[in-house]
Amino acid sequence: MSPLCRAGEHLSRRAFLKGAAVTGGGLVLPNWGGLAHARSAAEAATKAKKRCILLWMNGGASQIDTFDMKPGRPTGGPFRPIQTKVTGLQVCEYLPKVAAVADKLAVIRSMKTHSPDHPDGIYHMHTCYKMSERTPHPELGAVIAKFNGDLGSDLPTFVRMGSCGNAGAGYLGPAHEPFSLGREGKLGAFTSPYLAADAEMKRAELFRFVEGEFAADHKAEPFDSHRTAKERAWRLLRAKAVFDISKEWPAARERYGDTDFGRGCLMARKLVEAGVPFVEVGHENYDSHADNFVCHKANMQHLDLAWPALLTDLADRGLLQDTLVVWMGEVGRTPQINNRAGRDHYIRAWTIVLSGGGIRGGQVYGATDADGKDVRDNPVSEGDLFATIYKALGINHRAKHLSGVRPVWLTPEGSQPITELLG
Amino acid sequence: MRCSLSLPLVAAAALLSGPAGRAAEPPLRAVIDSELKAGWKKAGIAPAPRSSDAEFLRRVTLDLVGTVPTHDEAVAFLADARESKREKLIDTLLADPRFARQQADVWDQVLFGRHPGNADATRKRDGFKAWLAKQFADGTGFDRVAREVLVGEQPGTELFQVQFRNQPEEATIAVSRVFLGTQLGCAKCHDHPYDRWTQKDFYGMAGFFVRVVIEETSSGNTKTYTVAEKATGEVLFSGAAKDQQPGKKGEPVRPRFLGGDELTEPPAPKDAKEQQPKAGAKLPKPPFSRKEKFAEWVVAPENPYFARAVANRVWAQFMGRGIVHPADDFQAENAPSHPELLAALTRTLAASKYDLKALIREVVNSEAYQLAGTGPITDALPKHFERARVRPLTAEEIVLSLRTATSFDAAGKPPTPDDYFMRAFGEPTNGLGDFQGSLAEHLFWNNAEQVRVFARRKKGNLTDQLLASTDPWEKRVEHLYLSVLGRRPKPAEVSKFVAFITGDAKPEPRVEDAVWVLLTSSEFRFNH
Repeated sequence: MSPLCRAGEHLSRRAFLKGAAVTGGGLVLPNWGGLAHARSAAEAATKAKKRCILLWMNGGASQIDTFDMKPGRPTGGPFRPIQTKVTGLQVCEYLPKVAAVADKLAVIRSMKTHSPDHPDGIYHMHTCYKMSERTPHPELGAVIAKFNGDLGSDLPTFVRMGSCGNAGAGYLGPAHEPFSLGREGKLGAFTSPYLAADAEMKRAELFRFVEGEFAADHKAEPFDSHRTAKERAWRLLRAKAVFDISKEWPAARERYGDTDFGRGCLMARKLVEAGVPFVEVGHENYDSHADNFVCHKANMQHLDLAWPALLTDLADRGLLQDTLVVWMGEVGRTPQINNRAGRDHYIRAWTIVLSGGGIRGGQVYGATDADGKDVRDNPVSEGDLFATIYKALGINHRAKHLSGVRPVWLTPEGSQPITELLG
Repeated sequence: MRCSLSLPLVAAAALLSGPAGRAAEPPLRAVIDSELKAGWKKAGIAPAPRSSDAEFLRRVTLDLVGTVPTHDEAVAFLADARESKREKLIDTLLADPRFARQQADVWDQVLFGRHPGNADATRKRDGFKAWLAKQFADGTGFDRVAREVLVGEQPGTELFQVQFRNQPEEATIAVSRVFLGTQLGCAKCHDHPYDRWTQKDFYGMAGFFVRVVIEETSSGNTKTYTVAEKATGEVLFSGAAKDQQPGKKGEPVRPRFLGGDELTEPPAPKDAKEQQPKAGAKLPKPPFSRKEKFAEWVVAPENPYFARAVANRVWAQFMGRGIVHPADDFQAENAPSHPELLAALTRTLAASKYDLKALIREVVNSEAYQLAGTGPITDALPKHFERARVRPLTAEEIVLSLRTATSFDAAGKPPTPDDYFMRAFGEPTNGLGDFQGSLAEHLFWNNAEQVRVFARRKKGNLTDQLLASTDPWEKRVEHLYLSVLGRRPKPAEVSKFVAFITGDAKPEPRVEDAVWVLLTSSEFRFNH
């Protein structure tokens, strides 16, 4: 049995193909047209388990200039803190809207991680394993796609936009590879059919006939996987309209901010609503080795619109309780300010923020010392963070797979979910 | 072979194995079939029937020369009434120059995979593949091929070592896996949890690679690499990875052959200093070469690992699973499914001076290889080899097969697998051999001009042949099926395709679509 699908799904796919081969004609086929799509997307959304949106701060955001402020200390920098309604949680003055939704946030101030640079940090913070091991570990998105996704749905199970992870599906295999969107949700390569819709439908019907003839006496799994993926690709092409946010955008622009990141966050909301279990949205330009404060001020003005708007929209739609929203990058930034007014990479003590599905909001977890140079309480490793995320999403963080002949686990040995963070 | 205590049998064995060794042993193909039959009987399963001629032709052509058969090859083979036509076909394909290129592609993937280390240097491997193809064309024994690849000094062979630049640990893992069928990876950081290997074994092996130096010379845009070796340098071992402390240095470990003796090497003269070559000059060859000693040990007749690892891998290449499966995981807890058969394959390979072609000839002449791909079981790689295995075509095979099936070369310049084909078809499995259809692959099939170009009408190509012909459409559909799938269509298929093509006033777009449908079908996507 393929690890991809449960027995029931398998049967229904076979039955579906058989039916298609026998009846032909195209009209009886499900999901073949806009209306049919709307129905199946809604079904997928209700079938879906918990979902996750990862807001990826590419380059690594500065914890001291956002959520772990050190006013009056030599490392503090020029930004002033503002108090939120959560005890012990002050945030940067440039995050007033984030401050207003602080009751939804669980701020982890005690990240202590192991990969200090970009490619390896990006890999490590997407897989919770070191890149140097050379085991092809899957990204967070691929794991969630596998465990919480429905390959029978019209839409991809792992979608990403902007600068994101670098590991892909790894040992989970091609079925869980990410589906990348360009700016403004533009679909990637080979998503525009060259045939007109009716010609495409006739051609597809002939394909199904051919497959039906072959399947009558050829029962091996790979054949089934091949045609199932082809049907998925066709359904995706039919459902393409979901990726068009031009209708929603005018009303949302002001709240989300007129930026790629703002549009990405609106897209993420729309996709999880349609049943996509994992969406990653990259936010550029945090790697401020020089002019850290100029950079961060500019970035926060975008972040402060899109992120709270996303959380508020999800909450208003009743989706937040089932949608975990993670805010993180690959590294934090040094407490020391260098001679170019920059901050460099820092992994000894930095900050990540969780909110939504499965997370108890309105709290700060862990603490750093007075200058933010070291973790004082409750250090959190990559493995612990991922175990917490998986637990919040209902995924066993010690689920075992094989990579080649080696047993591998979703999180490294000894990783523990942080129960205080879980709702 | 196990000793038998029964006297008559011992006598018979003595008679059979005279001074000429095992000259009287039955041909390997017969051993294959009797061993597999015994397995089916024991497991109480019925194998699939014998393959049809068309099925066999397509399968063996793909496996031996890396493409589907042409229309004319299919017609000729189906019309051939000779009893021995399958054996004759195998001989023809083994003598085909494309055989060497196909085997080179297969072994290139074994030695590098799709993501070799030191990517900038190893991405393009035309030189290495050409060298490998020449060895297969010349019939060089595979022991010599392995030796040259490990030493890396013959022009063309360098890239295998280049992929491990500065990483003797990676070399240890890959070399043990590919040439010894042994997984040492776990023992890099801790003693192997369920095999007998310890970290000491691992670092003992790494000692053979620790002195390897990759030298790079550039002229213009091309870089060339030399695999050189220092005269000194040791692996330092400092215990389990979890006990590592910053600053802890570790003890030198003597090189030791896996499961065998320490390397005996002349003691380094006291106060020996590594010679520093002048700028631009090459490192001189050391007086004692560890990598050469290692390569000789790998292929030595006493080495218990090499022959069985290669025999098992060749078996898996044609039969789907290794007799030890996965093919590179020999260990106590992973017993061979057919131990006597593996022993026979290993023995034959070693006795033939590692003539892979001879071994392949026996495997594909067996009844087992020639079973049908039909039947109720759903495994891609059946455990008892009771049905033909199903494997996805490689990206290289897909491009060649698209060209063959559509007479593409008659109409234009042949494409080479480009990045798009690699991205769509390069890695169709989850790394364990389980195929997974992907969205990326099917969006490419469905919408890419790179695929459409094979189906669109162009002077002389398949679509053009079909449109230009004045035969009745029934006949033309037969031409289509023979060209793409190497078989004649069933009556239901003929009538469906004729109705599809003639259902529109303009047949050209319909013919293009009909060609596309067969090219993208699962029957075409896999070798089965």
